[in-house]
Amino acid sequence: MIQLNPFKVKVISTLSLITFVIIWQLVCTFKLVSPILLPSPLQILDTVLDLFKNGYRDAPFYQHILVSTARAFFAFFVAILIGVPLGLLMGRSPVFNAILDPFVQFLRPIPKIALIPLVVVWLGIGEESKFFLIFIATFLSVIVGATAASQNVPYGLIQAAQTMGLGKTAILFRVILPSSLPEIFTTIRLSIGIGWTSLIAAEMVAATSGLGWMIINAGSYLRTDVVIVGIILLGTIGFILDWLIVKAQQKWAPWTGKA
Amino acid sequence: MTQPFIELNNVQKIFKQNKTENTVLQDINLKIPEGQFVCLLGPSGCGKSTILNLLAGFEKPTLGDIYVDGQPISAPGIDRAVVFQQAQLFPWLTVKENIQFPLKQSKAESKYITEQTEYYLEKTGLKKFENHRIWQISGGMKQRVALARAWVMKPKILLMDEPFGALDAQTRILMQETLTQLWQDNKTTVLFVTHDIDESLLLADRIILMAGHPGRIAEDIQVNLRRARTIENIAPQQEFIETKKHILEIMRKEVSRMIDYIH
Repeated sequence: MIQLNPFKVKVISTLSLITFVIIWQLVCTFKLVSPILLPSPLQILDTVLDLFKNGYRDAPFYQHILVSTARAFFAFFVAILIGVPLGLLMGRSPVFNAILDPFVQFLRPIPKIALIPLVVVWLGIGEESKFFLIFIATFLSVIVGATAASQNVPYGLIQAAQTMGLGKTAILFRVILPSSLPEIFTTIRLSIGIGWTSLIAAEMVAATSGLGWMIINAGSYLRTDVVIVGIILLGTIGFILDWLIVKAQQKWAPWTGKA
Repeated sequence: MTQPFIELNNVQKIFKQNKTENTVLQDINLKIPEGQFVCLLGPSGCGKSTILNLLAGFEKPTLGDIYVDGQPISAPGIDRAVVFQQAQLFPWLTVKENIQFPLKQSKAESKYITEQTEYYLEKTGLKKFENHRIWQISGGMKQRVALARAWVMKPKILLMDEPFGALDAQTRILMQETLTQLWQDNKTTVLFVTHDIDESLLLADRIILMAGHPGRIAEDIQVNLRRARTIENIAPQQEFIETKKHILEIMRKEVSRMIDYIH
């Protein structure tokens, strides 16, 4: 396999993106596809400017973006805060694992859209149900990853800690948690990816703002340009989130893949 | 005679796997006085690491009693430090932080912590690398950190499980010298597991030669070679040559017994 330096990788990726956009523009300019089906990149740029100026359906554009990211971030935060310690505990305690694992394994493969009717009946159509749908998707995935991570902690590290007088709780937080950090960051990356995809499901529940809602709403008015703007934004925010977590991993678990 | 510092009485250890029983240790009786450097020497599978694990408290004997300084052993404790074959350091900490870790855990005074850490950083030649992360240093240096981390706790006994087994020959010689110096300064009681005859003759006051299937003590050998020893000055000595020959003869007998056992 050829080795590429990071700069070359970036240049090639950028050129690939630019080529794609140019071909897209040319396809539209020569009217190979109807503009209703596929608006051109230039049209989409116009739409973006228009959205920033006039908003979408009574709400300013930035509000749609903020509402969605706030919903998702809060759900991610709670899911990680509860999911990581719970997963670590499940990985280290066979009894605890035997109690909780059936629920986790049963709930995890269910498409979260299937939960919408129940969630609406139980939690109503407010923010609670939207939070829950993003939370549950992220949470289950965090638990599975954290469980596996804590089981991969070298036994010798735990033995070493025991000879230094650490009790069970101290070992969990001062050895197992830091030792699992590289894997936990990878788990968080995957889980946030899954949580972010369930944003749309969450905003299908009686929302009046948010990127997911905007996409669904614009679709029903055949505003494909707005739909595409929404999709590009979802992708970009997801990409930035992932990049932030990679940076956090490099900062707080710099030994990832090295020890 | 004074009470022995480490005492194993009729210790037996059986591992059960599915329905087969494997007697790893049988009738182990061993008394070690304080301050002695003892090597457990034997082939793999003779149960020498199991003795260490029992003393560390990682495992419990099937039968028999184990005492350290008059106290029965039931769980790991800070009076018994362990150095493993893999250094088992914490990669999220620096060299210095790894050495300090057990002291901070025991809530020692910060002045004492700094003093002790500096002392062992100097003694193990790690001063220049104190702020390095664990993945930035070599295997030999990792084992130095593990040594310092074990010694800084001032344990009653130091249990070492083939700590230099994974190192190259040159690094091993350096590490053996560092270990001998530390031991001569502190006179901690050391139990050192190895399968290397030369290493045991270089380090030990006493060699417990072990044999396998079931694991048991084959012979208890005193080593009277004058300290400070180096491998090149002990190798030509009569005692070294004769003891090594004696050990090899016993091992040879065990090997032929093993071949009968397998067939």
